[in-house]
Amino acid sequence: MIKLYDYELSGNCYKLRLLMSILGVDYETVPVDFYPGREHKSDWFLRLNPLGQLPVVDDDGLVLRDAQAILVYLAARYDPSGTWYPRDDPRLLGEVSQWLAFADGITATASAARLHDGLFYDVDIDACRAGAHRLFRILDEHLWFGEQEGRDWLCAAAAPTIADIACFPYVMLSEEGGISRQDYPAIRRWCDRLKRVDGFIVMSGIFPASRARAA
Amino acid sequence: MLDQSRNRWHPIAASHDLAYRHVFHGQLLGREFAVWRADDDFVNIWENRCLHRGVRLSIGINDGRELKCQYHGWRYSNRTAGCTYIPAHPADAPARTITNRTFSAVERYGFVWTAEEPVGEVPGIAGLAEGDLLVLRGIPVNAAADRVVEHLQTHRFQPVGALDADGAEMVVETADAFSLALLARQGTAETRCVFFVQPVDAARSVIRGVLDRQPEAAQRMAVLRHHNERLSALRERIEDAVRGEPAPAPIEPVFDPVPAELAEMPQPTPHGRKATLRVEVARKWAAADGIAGFELTPLGGGLPTFQPGAHIDVHMPNGEIRQYSVVNGPGESDRFTIGVKREPESAGGSSCMHDTVREGDVLAISEPRNNFPLRRDASKTLLVAGGIGITPLLAMAQALHNQDLAFELHYFARDEAQMAFRERLDGLGATLHPHLGLDPQATGDTLSSLFSTYQDGMHLYLCGPGPMLEAARRVAAERGWPEQAIHFEYFKNTNEIDDSSTFEVALARSCLTFQVPAGRTILDMVRENGVDMPSSCEQGACGTCLATVIEGEPDHQDVYLNDTEKRSGTKIMTCVSRARSARLVLDL
Repeated sequence: MIKLYDYELSGNCYKLRLLMSILGVDYETVPVDFYPGREHKSDWFLRLNPLGQLPVVDDDGLVLRDAQAILVYLAARYDPSGTWYPRDDPRLLGEVSQWLAFADGITATASAARLHDGLFYDVDIDACRAGAHRLFRILDEHLWFGEQEGRDWLCAAAAPTIADIACFPYVMLSEEGGISRQDYPAIRRWCDRLKRVDGFIVMSGIFPASRARAA
Repeated sequence: MLDQSRNRWHPIAASHDLAYRHVFHGQLLGREFAVWRADDDFVNIWENRCLHRGVRLSIGINDGRELKCQYHGWRYSNRTAGCTYIPAHPADAPARTITNRTFSAVERYGFVWTAEEPVGEVPGIAGLAEGDLLVLRGIPVNAAADRVVEHLQTHRFQPVGALDADGAEMVVETADAFSLALLARQGTAETRCVFFVQPVDAARSVIRGVLDRQPEAAQRMAVLRHHNERLSALRERIEDAVRGEPAPAPIEPVFDPVPAELAEMPQPTPHGRKATLRVEVARKWAAADGIAGFELTPLGGGLPTFQPGAHIDVHMPNGEIRQYSVVNGPGESDRFTIGVKREPESAGGSSCMHDTVREGDVLAISEPRNNFPLRRDASKTLLVAGGIGITPLLAMAQALHNQDLAFELHYFARDEAQMAFRERLDGLGATLHPHLGLDPQATGDTLSSLFSTYQDGMHLYLCGPGPMLEAARRVAAERGWPEQAIHFEYFKNTNEIDDSSTFEVALARSCLTFQVPAGRTILDMVRENGVDMPSSCEQGACGTCLATVIEGEPDHQDVYLNDTEKRSGTKIMTCVSRARSARLVLDL
């Protein structure tokens, strides 16, 4: 069974729990005391991941680090529909990768701001917040034009992809870093749509949405 | 200086921002709003805080009919913003004072407009024809609205038809403190764009633009992108320009206390049955054989919040007063729907409603009162209706259905033609179980099998003719249903009332003592002594005139209290019940 080295309050761990829940993949978690224990910097964990970062998965001996990389692996391996990581569509794959990199930018800004406010990390908070707002403006614009063109998701596909899962958690948790989403109405609607995907699960700070209106 | 008038209409969202089942996070002049479109297309603009713990309602859940707070699940009704359910108090109907503050909402030119205290109508804009407009993407700007308007004066864009060219001639057609109309002209191509600048806060704005007509479908996206690009560049310039300036302090919104009409104590009146609302019969139709349906819409203003199980008093043209359950589903708050069965031995109530009252007539009604509240924490709810007893249970069924809670509605009727409110019943799908044409014996057998599987956490709600209720309550008790899981409402009290006793009543809180002579009720004497007391049916069925007994032994003659409540001796229906002891002390 897949083993997820997990911290409950981590958005990067949550995105893996979320995808595995959506795909109906069984997994077990190994809780890592990220705060205040700093167990991700302990010797035993550094042997798993020399970068000292969560999450890590161990799937039958395959040890992988990096949330975005793990999303690629899980979707490619465990999604029989092939929509979450569209392997056979080069254009879509390019788009997915572009947004996976964008998700890293969100982690570097919005997630860092949250670590500052919640777990007392020493970062340049103003730069983090300004950086997150810059990314959110780009994201909101992309999603607004998507709505106008009849596209619900980040990539030009009828169904969501791991790009949506990768960007979603630290967008939803941004208020915990003092970054309001009030100026991003299209982001807020996209978050509602993602919460309506079958198999959606919550985490602390990420609440459910209502059912969609019957057509 | 930013004009902070609370009377002025501003757009706070584009109509397309209000997706169904979504809550938009709005703000105007420092005041935040939770803005949501109900499934019936009513646009709600509310103070963005739950009345319970102040959590933002913009993170709440719009279920199409009600808005639910994420924190403790308080539910608020579409339109009225009144609280309909508090999960921590599942057996109670929330007080009417728990009503959130609402703001005017008007949709015009593709935007949603509001003001804290609007004066007049949303201003008409010359050159903008409703319906054929293209609403641009709103552009939030970190700068004061007056600064944004100033920069918009030199804003440039290309007319539709000459998007790829450059250097269109720009004319500022009109301008005021928060809007301006710009005309771009190049050759024969001409496009007018009206920009509204929404003052979000002292140093935050949103530019909301609208083009005077829809371009051809093929050009639509290009036009939207062109304007988005130009406005984004304008935003860069404005934000650069204000970056070095000291930011004005955010505007502090003033949170009003509960509105006066909710906070006031009601005026004492000698008569306890009040009909404070005037409604028009907007529709009267045959809801089933022998059952007339009525849709009652308010004359001016709105209707108060109701919950499933609530009833209203209808004051009829002939002076009769009758109680009817509100049939509405949740969030259906622009009218009350009731069903009236023609009683063969009508004492003037149902015959008046059937024969005299017509569409267009005005009736006086009481505010809705809920003495038959619905719990929503049951593991499963059984609703059992006999005949016209369907009315409160139909309201309950629609609420449970809307929340996806487990329930069954069992509807006993003579035949299909006697099943009322067909279209509402059809909306319930497989949860509806009709039982048609059963005699008392078969009814008893059916009830017996329905009630055979009591499990902890289930609740049963009954409404129907007296004999059926008696049978159902007996069968449920035999089948192991605890009394607190059985909820019932009688149409009327058929007990023979014995009012021959004479006794003394003391009102502990009012410091009054008086005699209740034979032939008079406690309720009469309470009122005669100047204490206001609500009442409704005045025959011991509805539960409105309930009082708490502090001392003495009540002589129960009502059909509202269950046997445990009666035995406990702590409650009394003051309209029919009396005292076995020489003295009763009531908590009034």
